Amino acid sequence: MQTKRTPKGNRDLLRKFMDGYSIILVTLVMIVASMLLQGLLKDSWSFLTWNNIINILRNNSITGVIALGMAFVIITGNIDLSAGAQMVAVSAMSITVINWLAERMAGASPAMASLIPTILGVLTAFACSIALSVLTGIIVTKGRVPSFIVTMGMQLIYRSVLVYALNGGGVTTKVPGYLALSSTSIPLGFGELPLQILYFFIMVAVYWYISKYTSIGRRIYAVGSNEKATRLSGIKTDRIKIMAYALLGVAIAVAGVMESSRMGSINSTSSGTNYELNAIAMAVIGGVAMEGGRGRIVNTMFGAFIFGMISNILTLLGLPTKLVNAVKGAIIILAVLIQRKDKDR
Amino acid sequence: MAETALKMRGIVKTYGGVPVLKEVDFTVERGTIHALLGENGAGKTTLMNILGGVTPMDRGRVELFGEKVRITSTQDARQHGIAFIHQELNVINDLAVYENMFLGNELHGRFKVLDRKRMCEACSRVFQQMNVDIDPRAMMGSLETSYKQIVEIAKSLLRNARLIIMDEPTTSLTQREIDRVFAIMKGLTREQKVTIIFISHKLGEVVDFCDSFTVLRNGEKVASGLIKQEDGSKISQVEIAKMMVGRDVLGVEVYEPRPIGEPLLEVENLSVKGYARNVSFTLHSGEILGITGLLGDGKEELARCLFGDLPRSGGSVKLEGRPIEARHPSDARKMGIGMLPSNRKENAIIKDLSVRANTTIVALDRYQHGIKLSLAEEARAAESARQRLSIKADKLTSLITSLSGGNQQKVVLAKWLDAEPKVMILSNPTQGVDVGAKNEIYAEIMKLAKQGIGIIITSGEAQEIVKTCDRALVMYHGELRGELTRDEMSDEAIMILCTGGTLAG
Repeated sequence: MQTKRTPKGNRDLLRKFMDGYSIILVTLVMIVASMLLQGLLKDSWSFLTWNNIINILRNNSITGVIALGMAFVIITGNIDLSAGAQMVAVSAMSITVINWLAERMAGASPAMASLIPTILGVLTAFACSIALSVLTGIIVTKGRVPSFIVTMGMQLIYRSVLVYALNGGGVTTKVPGYLALSSTSIPLGFGELPLQILYFFIMVAVYWYISKYTSIGRRIYAVGSNEKATRLSGIKTDRIKIMAYALLGVAIAVAGVMESSRMGSINSTSSGTNYELNAIAMAVIGGVAMEGGRGRIVNTMFGAFIFGMISNILTLLGLPTKLVNAVKGAIIILAVLIQRKDKDR
Repeated sequence: MAETALKMRGIVKTYGGVPVLKEVDFTVERGTIHALLGENGAGKTTLMNILGGVTPMDRGRVELFGEKVRITSTQDARQHGIAFIHQELNVINDLAVYENMFLGNELHGRFKVLDRKRMCEACSRVFQQMNVDIDPRAMMGSLETSYKQIVEIAKSLLRNARLIIMDEPTTSLTQREIDRVFAIMKGLTREQKVTIIFISHKLGEVVDFCDSFTVLRNGEKVASGLIKQEDGSKISQVEIAKMMVGRDVLGVEVYEPRPIGEPLLEVENLSVKGYARNVSFTLHSGEILGITGLLGDGKEELARCLFGDLPRSGGSVKLEGRPIEARHPSDARKMGIGMLPSNRKENAIIKDLSVRANTTIVALDRYQHGIKLSLAEEARAAESARQRLSIKADKLTSLITSLSGGNQQKVVLAKWLDAEPKVMILSNPTQGVDVGAKNEIYAEIMKLAKQGIGIIITSGEAQEIVKTCDRALVMYHGELRGELTRDEMSDEAIMILCTGGTLAG
C-alpha cells in the first residue's frame, strides 16, 4: 500500500479535494461529455459557446439564488416548500408599490420617477420577504411544528391569497428603472454579461462568506449537526434556525426582484411554480445533506450548474425535452446515492 | 471441564498501513465471563468486530468450539451462534418487548398473520430460563435501562447464541442495575453454559464479576489469566490497570489540597419539578463539590437546572452574592456557568464540525471581529487547548469524530475553558474515557480549582467522587440525603447514603 510513488502529502490533498469538491469534477465531466456528444452526434459545437453558457446561467440564476438560501435552511435540518410562492408574493408587493409610487410621481423628472419607485420597490421586496421568512422560522421553532408542514401550509396560503387578490391574473410594471435591473448587460469585449448572472455570483460570494467566516454560519452548521449539543454549548438554537430562514428570505427577495424585473410582471398562478423544489434539488445535487449539518455553498452553486445544464443538453442533442424532468429526477436520486456511498466508505 | 469456546490465533489487522492488531491470540473457555480489556484504541473493538463479522481480518485463524470457522459477515457470525450486543442499546422503544425480540424473524401463523401468542410464549420461556420477570407484551420504552439490556441478552439467546459479546454494556446503568445484569449473566454462564465476552472500562465490575481476562495494549496481547488466582485471592484493579497502560495509574493520587475561597454559588431550596426538592448548598471558589446519587435521583436534573437547561420550580440561586436565574444555557454561559454534559455523543459532540470548531463553539463571539471570524485566532486557541490538555489529534481541522473518546471529552472540556467560566459543572466527566485520559482530566480539574473556579462534579461513580472532591452531597429520591467531608468520604459511605441509609454515629 505504501509503494505508490506519489508522495503521501499530495495524495491526502487530492483525497481531501475529492471528498469535498468531487462535484466540480462531475460538472467538468458533464461539460466535456456534452460538448463531445453534441460535436460527434450533431456535428455542432455550440455547447461551449459564450452565448450558450450565458443562456444556461441566466435560465438558472433565479432558482440558483433561492438554492443558496435553501442550503442554509436545509443545513439547520429544516426545509422550505413555500419559497416559490413567497417569491411571487413579494414580487407582487414590490411591483404594486412601484406602480403606486410611479403614478404619484408622474409629475417629477423622468429619472426620479423611475429611480425612487425602483429603490423603494426593491426595499419592499426585501422587507416583506425577510418578515415572512422570519414568521415561518418562528412558527417552526417556537411552535415546534415540523418545517415541512409549516411551509407546505404557507405555500398554500401565499398562492391562494395571491390568486384571490389578483383575481387569478398578475401585476405588470413599465417603470424603466426596475426593468433595467434585469435587462442591463455588462459588455465584455467577447460578449455580454447580463446583470442577472452577476447577481447570482455576488450572492454566491456573500453566502459562501457567511457560511465560512461568520459566527452565524458556523452556528448554522452546529445546529444542524447536533442541536442538543449546540444548545448545551450556550447557543440559542431557535434564533439560529430563524436566522437561516431570514437568509433564505433575503435570497427569495433577490430572486423575486430578478424574476419580476426580467418579465416586467408577475403572475399569481403561473410564476414561480416548482422553484422551491428546483432549489432543493440544486442544493441536494450540491451535496447538502437533508438531515442537516453538512453542505457547502460553493458546491450548491455547482449543483445549480449541473441542474441547469440538463435541459440544455437534451435540447442541443435533439432529445425529447418532455423527458427533461425524468432526467432531472434521476440525477437527483443518483446524486444522493453517490454521496451515500461516499459516506459509507 | 474446561472446553474451549473460542480460539483466535495470530489475528492481524491493519487500517491504511497502521497496524491495529499484531498477531493477537485470544482464548475463551466455555461457560465463563471473559473480560476483554484495554485502553481506547488498544484494538478490543476491532478484534470483536472481526469475530462478529463486521470487519474482515488480514490474517489469522478463528476456532469456535474446536472447529475452524470463516466468518465474513454478521449473518455468518449469527449462524455460528455469536451475538454482538453493542454499547448503544439497539432497541425500539415504541414496540413491545416481544416485537423487539423477534424483529426481523417474526413468527407467522396462517395467512401470514403474525403469531403474537407463539412469539410471546417463546419470549416468556427465555425469560424463565434467565430467571427474570419481564412481560413480553410490555412496551420497550416502559422498561428500565437494565431490563432493556436484559432483553437484548434474551434476544441473543432466542437466536441460540452460544457466545455473546457485550461492548461496555454498563456505562448507562446504575449500580443496582449493573448488579442485576451481572446476576443474569452469571446464571447464563453457569447453567446454560453460554460464554460471554465482556468489554469494559470499569475494572471494579471486572474483578467482581468476571472469571478471566485478556488485556490488549496497542494491538498486542499483553496478559491473560484468571481473575481468581491460585491462592484464592482476586487479582487487584491496580494490577489490571497497570497491564492496560503499562504503568501504575489507578494508584496515582489525583487529589491535591488547596485553599478554598469565598462562597461563589449559593443555592437555596432549589426545586426542579418532578426531579429535585428543596436542595440547598454553597459552592466556594476553588472548591470541588461532588453531587452523587443513583440514576434518576435528581443529581443530573439539578445540574441541568443550574445551567438553565431545565426550568426551576422554586428556590433561589446567587452567584457572587447576586441573585441569578438562567432560563437557557446561553444565559448560564453569559453569567459564567459552564457545563460538560453527560452522554458525550448525544449532548456534547458536534459531529460534522472539526476539532477546532468544536473547541471554539462556546466562546465563538470572541473570535469575531466586525462580522468576520478570525480562523487564525481560532486555530491558535485550539492549538493551545491541544497542548494544555494534551489532546491527541493529528490535525485540528479533522472532524471531532476522528478522535478517541477520551480526546473528544478533552475537547468538550476545552470548549468551556475557552469561555473562562467562574463555575464549571461536570456531569460524568470521565464517562467512556480510558484510564490514562481519565487521570489527565482529573489533573485538569484540579488545576482549574486551583485557579479559583468553583467546580461541581455530578457522577454516579462513587470512586470518582472520592478521588476528586473536597466535599460530597448525596441525593436520594430528589432530596439531599447527606453531606460528606473529604475525611468522611468513602465508596461505602456514599453507597449507604445513595441507597437511602444513614451513617451511624
